[in-house]
Amino acid sequence: MIFDKHQDTIDDILSRYPVRRSAILPLLNLAQKEEGYVSQAAMREIAGILDLTPPQVFETATFYTMLNLKPIGTFHIQVCRSLMCALVGADPLIEWLRKQLGIGVGQTTGDKLFTLSTVECLGSCGTGPMMQINDDYYERLTEEKVGRILRDLRESGDCSLKSGPFMVPERIVSP
Amino acid sequence: MKTFEKILLTNMDRPGYTGSLSDYEEAGGYKALKTVLGNVPPTDIIEMVKKSGLRGRGGAGFPTGVKWGFIPKDHPGPRYLCCNADESEPGTFKDRQLMERDPHQVLEGIAISCYAIGAQTAYIYIRGEFRLAAKILERAIVEACQAGHLGSDIYGSGVTVHVYVHAGAGAYICGEETALLESLEGKRGKPRTKPPFPATHGLYQKPTVVNNVETLANVPHIVNRGAEWFASIGAPPKSTGTRVFCLSGHVKRPGNYELPVNATFRDLIYELGGGMRSDKPLKAFIPGGASAPFLTPDHVDVQMDFESVALAGSMSGSGGITVMEEGTSMVWAALRLMEFFYHESCGKCTPCREGSSWIVQILQRILNKQGRPEDLRTLTEICENIGGRTVCAFGDAEIAPVQSTLKYWRNEYEALIEEAEALKGSRKEIPVLSLA
Amino acid sequence: MSNTPNMLTITIDGIRTQVPEGTLVIEAARQVGVMVPHFCYHPKLAPDANCRMCLVEIEKIPKLQTSCSTRVADGMVVRSSVPNVENARKWVLQLLLGNHPLDCPVCDQGGRCDLQDFSHEYTPTVSRFKELKRVFPKQYLGPVIETQMNRCVSCMRCVRYCDEVIDAQALAADGRGTLTQITHWAGNELECDMCGGCIQICPVGAITSRLSMYDYRPWMLKRTETICSYCGDGCQITVQRKNDQLIEVNSALGAGRNNGDLCARGYFGYHAAVHPDRVRHPLVRQADGSFAEVTWEEALDRVARELTAMKATHGADAIGGLITARCTNEDLYVFQKFMRVVIGTNQIDSSARYGYINGVRALRRVQGTHRWTVRYEDVARADGIMLVGTNLNESNPITALHVKRAVKHAGAQLITLESLLPFRSTVSNVTTLARHHLTVKSGRFAAAILGLLKAVVESDLVHEDIAREAPEFVQAIREKVAGVSWKAIQAQSGLPQAEVEAAARTYAQAGRAVVLVGREVLRSLGGEGMVTNLLDLLILTGHLRRDGSGLGCLAEANNEQGAVEMGAVAEYFPGPADLHDEESQRTLTRAWGQAVPGGASASLPELLSRAKTGAIKSLFIVGENPVESLPGDADVTAALDALEFLVCQDLFLTETAKRAHVVFPACSAMEKDGTFTNTEGHVQPVRQSIEPLGESLPDWEMFSALSVLMDQPIEYGEVKEIFKEIRGVIPGYGLLGPASTPPKAKENTVAQYVKTGFKEDIDRRYALDPLSAAPEGSMTLRLVQSLYHSGKYSTRAKGLMEIEGEGLLHVNSREARRLGIEEGQAVRLSNDRGQASVSVKLNDRVPDAVAWFPEHFDQSVRALFSLKGPAPAEVGVDPQTHVPVWKTTHVTMTK
Ligand SMILES: Cc1cc2nc3c(=O)[nH]c(=O)nc-3n(C[C@H](O)[C@H](O)[C@H](O)COP(=O)(O)O)c2cc1C
Ligand code: SF4
Ligand code: FES
Repeated sequence: MIFDKHQDTIDDILSRYPVRRSAILPLLNLAQKEEGYVSQAAMREIAGILDLTPPQVFETATFYTMLNLKPIGTFHIQVCRSLMCALVGADPLIEWLRKQLGIGVGQTTGDKLFTLSTVECLGSCGTGPMMQINDDYYERLTEEKVGRILRDLRESGDCSLKSGPFMVPERIVSP
Repeated sequence: MKTFEKILLTNMDRPGYTGSLSDYEEAGGYKALKTVLGNVPPTDIIEMVKKSGLRGRGGAGFPTGVKWGFIPKDHPGPRYLCCNADESEPGTFKDRQLMERDPHQVLEGIAISCYAIGAQTAYIYIRGEFRLAAKILERAIVEACQAGHLGSDIYGSGVTVHVYVHAGAGAYICGEETALLESLEGKRGKPRTKPPFPATHGLYQKPTVVNNVETLANVPHIVNRGAEWFASIGAPPKSTGTRVFCLSGHVKRPGNYELPVNATFRDLIYELGGGMRSDKPLKAFIPGGASAPFLTPDHVDVQMDFESVALAGSMSGSGGITVMEEGTSMVWAALRLMEFFYHESCGKCTPCREGSSWIVQILQRILNKQGRPEDLRTLTEICENIGGRTVCAFGDAEIAPVQSTLKYWRNEYEALIEEAEALKGSRKEIPVLSLA
Repeated sequence: MSNTPNMLTITIDGIRTQVPEGTLVIEAARQVGVMVPHFCYHPKLAPDANCRMCLVEIEKIPKLQTSCSTRVADGMVVRSSVPNVENARKWVLQLLLGNHPLDCPVCDQGGRCDLQDFSHEYTPTVSRFKELKRVFPKQYLGPVIETQMNRCVSCMRCVRYCDEVIDAQALAADGRGTLTQITHWAGNELECDMCGGCIQICPVGAITSRLSMYDYRPWMLKRTETICSYCGDGCQITVQRKNDQLIEVNSALGAGRNNGDLCARGYFGYHAAVHPDRVRHPLVRQADGSFAEVTWEEALDRVARELTAMKATHGADAIGGLITARCTNEDLYVFQKFMRVVIGTNQIDSSARYGYINGVRALRRVQGTHRWTVRYEDVARADGIMLVGTNLNESNPITALHVKRAVKHAGAQLITLESLLPFRSTVSNVTTLARHHLTVKSGRFAAAILGLLKAVVESDLVHEDIAREAPEFVQAIREKVAGVSWKAIQAQSGLPQAEVEAAARTYAQAGRAVVLVGREVLRSLGGEGMVTNLLDLLILTGHLRRDGSGLGCLAEANNEQGAVEMGAVAEYFPGPADLHDEESQRTLTRAWGQAVPGGASASLPELLSRAKTGAIKSLFIVGENPVESLPGDADVTAALDALEFLVCQDLFLTETAKRAHVVFPACSAMEKDGTFTNTEGHVQPVRQSIEPLGESLPDWEMFSALSVLMDQPIEYGEVKEIFKEIRGVIPGYGLLGPASTPPKAKENTVAQYVKTGFKEDIDRRYALDPLSAAPEGSMTLRLVQSLYHSGKYSTRAKGLMEIEGEGLLHVNSREARRLGIEEGQAVRLSNDRGQASVSVKLNDRVPDAVAWFPEHFDQSVRALFSLKGPAPAEVGVDPQTHVPVWKTTHVTMTK
């Protein structure tokens, strides 16, 4: 059982809502964190916890694009392709990433390390082009920066270039 | 350069400000909450917010105090406050900064608002992608509870406010207030038909207020400095205060800038934003997020308050301003936004669901020099039959880019279609659909 | 509190009308004859306003409004056919058709499709959509349902119906926007109630039945409205045929007691009638033991001669009759008349003996009428509903829908006393809706009911009227329940005191409360006493006399109610009237022109034992199959083999019919006219919808023909004449149609009962039988009713066999884990009587230490069951009511 070791977290989540069903997204998010994607077993288990049927969990899960119902790579690269990022170079960046990784959008590298996706606006339009890898944002990307990010992730699983708390514009010129 | 007084970004402008509880308290944080709890009757706070002229910063610009006033006075059961932190409108990224850099300012706003409407529980519905912001908020909530600013019986006043962060999982539509409620109830985020309105039948069918992050963050300042002070800023009486405008696109210094609402687009783009990126002239800009119709260089001297932008034929919406330089294809720009709307349509209403995919296909075709003479009429009619025909305002939003680019840059569409006509027969028509 | 709704005035397309407050504009429009086109609106579902087809113009509102979600306001002026509105409709259609495959020529819905009809009415002939359509592959949603999602208009009616009405939540929308598809979930094979509701409610051809795929065009179909012949709910069905071919069954909104809803049996079970194994010609056994097809004349003549001779030599009481409660009222009536008048015996019984009779007897005794004093409408309006041993979803699915509706949409408090767990899955389970669910150990309902009585008496829940009027009655019960300890109640029923008290309180305090009683009470030893005790509960709480309150016993087979009322049971004449009732003897004598026989009656067990001893030498068995309805040690075969002459009249050559000397081929309910009486007491018309197969005849015609040959003609020109006679014999019988008001409890019967009547057996009824404990380490094995079958008849329906084609042993996952078995694995069951090997299905509504097996497939496990004991003590023949009870046993289960 996926959630067995998270009983405390689940109790905490359930305590937040007067209606159990509200816990569905928190639990789906938890399942994805645990397994990298939302498995059928997880949906069944969530249904059991929340007193729902699996189709109810499934239909909720399929509405939300962040939930992957199939296994994906260790690092899920999601590049924003919406207008604001596109104005500042998202498209060439996606092209470049495809070449670097040797995969198309929606595909996973042979070593199961990277999955490349394009997504719609991630709320970081002033710092485009940008991408999200798993939980982290990477902003104001250049080919050089992305090269380093891929290298770091491959080597250490982490990269210091990820964004911290929102800092832009760094120095607001106030006279 | 003109100077503007800031409200929401003041704290974080200070060197070394981390947004921690001690930093916030040092800057005078939670003073407003302490002042009102148990001392000022909730109805007075609602009155104060009404008088301040504060209007929603989420997009619709509805007067906040009026909205609070709709909550039934003597409803016995629970009521809820939902802080809308779904910030998914392309071109908008201010709430993220407010939450990440000064979370307690948002929490204090939430606590006062809960007190004003009599809610004991508030949910911050934050878009799933904002993992960092969610983490920062969670931590701030723990801090605030430990310090007694949140929780049961705050400051011994008998007032209880529990705040929970609820993360979405990728759906723009969940920013729409009723879709947000559905999503928070654990369902697909599909907007509800109104009436009934959330004020009476909201979360779990209980009276509920949904307010944007920025809206709520203004509340402590109004309490601290008075409704009159707030109402004097901007373009009173209808649009007051400041807004954090999000500047993106072809400008030198994109980012968030807090300005009184009566500042002009010129102030934002040229003064603060440093002007056009590569010194090509301005061609077009979006004045209020992806849902707002495009405007032209003729409009740069328009003030950014709700009324003025509406008069100019657009809306100041979520406060996201996206700038495009000469040379940008407006058909392409419209398509990019349309693809966003196609991707995000929840699928509930026929016109929005089917119309968005049809429009995307026509635009893709036109851009690919496969347009047909009748396409512009079809586009116009589809738009006319989406607008005003759907459950929520998404339908009105998605036609904005197409209608406005058709209005100002029709010649670009026509040129592409003429090219297609000229090419006709010289190549095979290939389908260009990429609806994935 | 005033119940008259506020009336509002509204003008629609120039027509002024008044409608009650709360009416939707689309409904108000329909009332004045304005049909607003729509897809997502459905009167059974909460408005969702997603298709945007029903837009109308409302004066003073700038934007067009959806009439399906807008409620009328006083003075509202609505326009539905102005250019603005028509243009909007045109566009909604144009947009829907954009992604639609336009495959009407191969679509089963073509010809009765809303999309097709509205397109014909509103859209231009040339499509402006020249882009690519999205394409979904066709899917099979399980064995009997096909989906073609390219045709879907995303109205979500199917998903909403499955959730709001059926409460199965088995359908899901997969994806978002225009790429949304309707499916079960994640590619899993559909498991659900299989009610066919999604097929029926889909306005287009996106969900269709695989049973009739590509077999027809709707305009080729001839329709007949008739009544389903499976369970006692008595649903109205529309049988559709193409020439001689039975194509499909569905049901019409607003019609019948089911109002357009059906269950799997009704929707997918229709092929049973036309199964190739049907007996099509009269058969007569030859010297070598084989059957020969003979002419009707020969067969009838043979039977007439044998019976005449038998009667002459051995007397009328050497002959007995047994008839199935699946026959029409007319068949049942003529059969009992034939037996009483032509043969001259009272030795007749029917399958109501398997348990329904228990309820009838108790109700007649206590309240003076054996019928429900409530209707489905009262269930829907009740404040409290209590289900006792009903297994309601499975036995009476449409009654279950009324209960679900009451709970989900009208806020009724549901109390369930059932021997199942409230586990939620994609097969609906009414106990999941209960405010109080009490899991009663199987076979221990007597203790649970005593618990309720004890709680009512000891928690001061006795109604003041009865306390005043019949202090002795109340006192007697008080003393009795004092003698039963909570410990004993818990030990037997498994129910803790607090839970029983809470449930009793909810029931007692409900304004209007309906109690429904099912097979676990009716088909058990002491069933009559348990129903009587439940009626005591109604009396004590004041619910017996209250309008909208009452108790109903659930009929499992379609016409058990009719069988009793037609006098086709041992204890009653038509009415039902007691055999000794002089008034009815006179009425019948007058009607029949001949004195009713005075001889003894015989229940089913008596018929068999008299056959075995040779007192009965000939049996006339109509549609019944005692060989397979009773376990091996009931000695049915021995009894039948001892007969000199056995006549069977049936649809199939059953194990019983195989032993007959003459077999008459009977018509199924699809092939004849008549009436059925449903469980609530509604007499409903059965209409012939297909031609009789082979030479088969309606049952009554054969009795009638025999009577002529036996020189005592009972003749009718047509079925209606029989019904007329029935109405003469049972005054007021069959006010056909759903509106008849239910009878009330008879004041003087009740008064008599609470004064002295109760004393007769109170000691027995209020004592807890010591029950033998189950053998150490054993499991209780129960034969249960499945949702997909009804008796053995439904196992001839190919659709139902696709859904459930074999008997699987249902155990819960805890037991499975404990025993180390997995779904699909075979296990061995054994006890001191025999053994069996069966495959396992996991079902978490089965309680611990219990296994369920569908009775419809009991052949493979019958060896384990016994009518005679020793253990368990809950089997045997009820000494009072002669109900044979045998469907529980104890087994050990090994891998
Ligand atoms: C399609 C759609 C998306 C929306 N997205 C957001 C959003 O991301 N954040 C937000 O605050 N408001 C959003 N709104 C506006 C909300 O519906 C609602 O008006 C707002 O949260 C109310 O808060 P306010 O009055 O403080 O602005 C959206 C509205 C629509 C129609
Ligand atoms: S399948 Fe039929 S009922 Fe279901 S959403 Fe589609 S059109 Fe509606
Ligand atoms: S019927 Fe009204 S919106 Fe569908």
